[in-house]
Amino acid sequence: MRQDWNLLQLCDRFFDAIEQMDYSTLESCYAPEAIVWHSHDCLYQSRESNLAMLKDSMQRLKKMRFRNRRVHVFEGGFVQQHTMYVTHPNDFVGQMDVCFIGYVRDLKISRAYEYFDTGQIEKFLGPRGG
Amino acid sequence: MSMTDGEIRELCNRFFDAYQDRRVDQLAELYAPDCIVWHNVFGRDTTGAQNLAALPASYEGQRRRTYNDRVINTFEGGFVIQYTLHGVQHSGHQGALWICIVGLCRDGRITRIDEYMDSGKFPAWRSGRPGKDATAEESRL
Repeated sequence: MRQDWNLLQLCDRFFDAIEQMDYSTLESCYAPEAIVWHSHDCLYQSRESNLAMLKDSMQRLKKMRFRNRRVHVFEGGFVQQHTMYVTHPNDFVGQMDVCFIGYVRDLKISRAYEYFDTGQIEKFLGPRGG
Repeated sequence: MSMTDGEIRELCNRFFDAYQDRRVDQLAELYAPDCIVWHNVFGRDTTGAQNLAALPASYEGQRRRTYNDRVINTFEGGFVIQYTLHGVQHSGHQGALWICIVGLCRDGRITRIDEYMDSGKFPAWRSGRPGKDATAEESRL
């Protein structure tokens, strides 16, 4: 049975937790077996590695925001399109258009795919890499 | 008229089959008159008509393209598809791009396409040699 409302809530909770730098809530959104695939290297990243990366971002960046969120839920998951804005320590505000697809088990993200364009990486990191 | 999950899935596959077979005439039937196509590489909307007009020249770039590993999920009024685009250049070089599209549908036609790809992989797609920037032709995949 499709649980649209619950999937929407999970999606919001996940991205809100990153924005609010709420690591414990973020961690609770991932199933124990969670893996995350990224389009730049086409590799699956482990739960631990991905969480470590996000934790580092929370500690290093001044702000992370997901704007223009468009969410659709499907059987067993959701897709969110957004523009991610990050404020770097040097106050440069980077941005990136992202499509995030989450596959969900027991209302936790068990597998995720993230698509973005590294050809525009300077718009995200800044001219000298933030 | 709303579409069922099965109808949306069939529309998605017909769309990619037509793209693969270079059937611009079939693609024209699958786009709604007000269809908008957006690419993350450029970040701007184009009309379905503009997209179709660019296809013949775009197809000249490769000997063959196949849209493989299609994973389609449907939602109310649309679909999301993840796939691997394999291309064979005229030189024989084989390249691949990993792409995601979110499509919106109405009355058996596609009304909007949002396409996400990594232009950082265009040099490897084209020749395996780094150093060339994305071109307009390469964005119309």
